[in-house]
Amino acid sequence: MSESQFQEHNRFFLNMGPQHPSTHGVLLVILEMDGEYVLDPQPVLGFIHRMHEKMGESRPCQGFMPNTARMDYVCALPYNHGYVSLIEKKAGIEVPKRAEYIRVITSELNRVASHLLWLGAYLLDLGAFTPILYGFDDREHILDILEDVTGSRLTYCYYRFGGVAQDIDDKFADATRAFIKRLRERFDIYEKLVTKNIIFIKRTENIGIISRDTAIRYGITGPNLRGTGIAYDIRKNEPYSVYPEFDFDVPVGERGDCLDRYMVRVREMEQSLRIIEQALDMLPHGPVRSKVPKNIKLTPGDCNFAVEAARGELSYYLVGDGTSVPYRLKIRVPSYSNLSCLPELGEGILLPDLVSIMGSLDLVIPEIDR
Amino acid sequence: MGQRSLYMGEEANHPVNKPDLESYTARIKAECYAGVSNDRMNLDAGPLLRLDLTDKLLKLCQANSLWPMTFGIACCAIEMMGTGMARFDISRYGAEVFRPSPRQSDLMIVAGTVNRKLGPVLLTLYEQMPSPKWVIALGNCAISGGPFNVKENYNIIEGVDKLIPVDVYVPGCPPRPEGLLEGILKLQEKITGVRHPMPQNRHPDSPQRKVKGLEL
Amino acid sequence: MIETYEIFKNNMMKLEVPVTETDFDQRGYHMEVILTVNTIREFAQTAYEHGFYLVFATGLHVLPENREGVKTSGLEVVYQFARYDRLCRIKARVSVPEDLTVPSICHIYQGANWHERETRDFYGIRFADHPNLEPLLLCEEDKDYHPLLKEEKKLKKFEAVSWPAQHPDIADIQSETLSDV
Repeated sequence: MSESQFQEHNRFFLNMGPQHPSTHGVLLVILEMDGEYVLDPQPVLGFIHRMHEKMGESRPCQGFMPNTARMDYVCALPYNHGYVSLIEKKAGIEVPKRAEYIRVITSELNRVASHLLWLGAYLLDLGAFTPILYGFDDREHILDILEDVTGSRLTYCYYRFGGVAQDIDDKFADATRAFIKRLRERFDIYEKLVTKNIIFIKRTENIGIISRDTAIRYGITGPNLRGTGIAYDIRKNEPYSVYPEFDFDVPVGERGDCLDRYMVRVREMEQSLRIIEQALDMLPHGPVRSKVPKNIKLTPGDCNFAVEAARGELSYYLVGDGTSVPYRLKIRVPSYSNLSCLPELGEGILLPDLVSIMGSLDLVIPEIDR
Repeated sequence: MGQRSLYMGEEANHPVNKPDLESYTARIKAECYAGVSNDRMNLDAGPLLRLDLTDKLLKLCQANSLWPMTFGIACCAIEMMGTGMARFDISRYGAEVFRPSPRQSDLMIVAGTVNRKLGPVLLTLYEQMPSPKWVIALGNCAISGGPFNVKENYNIIEGVDKLIPVDVYVPGCPPRPEGLLEGILKLQEKITGVRHPMPQNRHPDSPQRKVKGLEL
Repeated sequence: MIETYEIFKNNMMKLEVPVTETDFDQRGYHMEVILTVNTIREFAQTAYEHGFYLVFATGLHVLPENREGVKTSGLEVVYQFARYDRLCRIKARVSVPEDLTVPSICHIYQGANWHERETRDFYGIRFADHPNLEPLLLCEEDKDYHPLLKEEKKLKKFEAVSWPAQHPDIADIQSETLSDV
């Protein structure tokens, strides 16, 4: 065979997904391959499109709450938070201080749970089976704590307009403090098992580098952006709820590769634990839910509200028309923009590196498809 | 926009294993072959050889080593992963080996909402699995469309049993991992006729229940 | 934020694009910009040079109107831009003309590629010069279904879904409609 015939012979198309152990949901990536090198990865979405926006426009605003949890089920409470805060802003509903603190504590606990799950799943993609067992074990403790107060393990619908559904008690506070103490000791295990592991470092260093210009052109937010060195965190830049009262850092990376994104998330877990401790110490007394009219009328006009979910900037855009049914509800999810940079990042790399990049972007496909 | 049919095609023919031979033949006589002579009737008598002991042993082995296929679609997938992890260990019941390839698995756990775009994918995967195969519909979305079975639905298939035959339904949104374990136990009961086929799996307080007509 | 706003506003005045400052606590964005199909690309280029990133691009379906003899299609495209270093959110909207075509900003903001495909799926708005305007979220059979278009009886006028405005063009229309009634 001549040289060009040999090259042609090596080119083929490979379907990665929609059923594949290493895509975090149902995502099809059509790979044009040249031997083991990926020439052009094209994501194909829509396999879990569950018409959330249509449902948001067809029912009163209270009826959309269960949907908010099912978009990103791994870290559902910030989604709840964004939606209830949006409606409260639009309708001018006051939230008691204690409820705001409870919202912050539970959201941060959920963020830690999400990062633990991401850590386990990422390392499972890379081939390591032990970290996911440890990650899920720690996560089960958080799920026990949250289950006592919210009632569910995964898709929480705990926040209500004007506060939260149920108050927390001393048992919750004691369990949370014990958990924080335990997790801080467990971080050493993760350090030795994963962070200092030469195989892990070789598979993540200098792979999938996102530059500042790429981030602006694609609208990347969250730990992916903070890995490149830009310290953009909605909790600091556009503060909402009671975040201004807490003292926490925003960890950033330097190069923007997979290893930096991993380090940012691990350090974010520590910062979340700091926030939870401060919030438990400063927790005020009082009611947890204010009186809200049964039928909330949304005044005409549009409104936007952004929160920091575990994966980046989540914003809700609502257009009201005077009734209690939103006229237009747009949900801007972080993984949507994070995934759209994959064709650019994945040109000309090896297939295992593509798996590593996709894992480090921390995607949850049902939120992309909404 | 008008009502559209969400039914994607013919249901696959799932072989039904009827243990009682006489009533089967009697039913065929009465329903299908009315008017045909009696000699024709006796030709259709089921499998040629029935080795009962081998059958029972085979079913025992199949029930105790179900190999699920990883088909986690949405939220229920996380609970399925949780069932495989250290706290709700699914490997006690033999189903730990999650195979990514359908050709090497015999249990498909449909965990999540099935879409009009995902329907053909599900059918392809189901057809690629070799017989005997079983299906567990995990979660409300796989049973009936769940929270997305609404009036303005244009995209969701209301229940995965519109596409493929389902053996066990596990309700919940999402169901607890213990729910999935109960589903696995029910499937073992369906295959073998006994709730805990291997004595050492059984909790000391739970009864050894036998299902009439399907005894091991 | 204020200096960014002033520089940006000056640049927009050069392009003859109306910019209004809005109340952030009430609306969640700092500026509202009204674009036409001719000024979208210049606006996007200016925003990119100033360091804004595209948050989302989506559509809105309101009642089609006859404004000074020009019929509108009733569809609008809404963009939102924000910054990484300082807090500044800008909302830009474009009224889609009757042929339902709007220029695409893909070559400036590559992230808009998917946002525009999704808007085409949900509303049927065509984006000119888009590299591959295929269905993103809907399946092949449903690509002309456009689920988020509202039924005739549920459509409302644009003023009915906007803030009782101090904005010049809406105020004109309100006075027009009042004089009609």
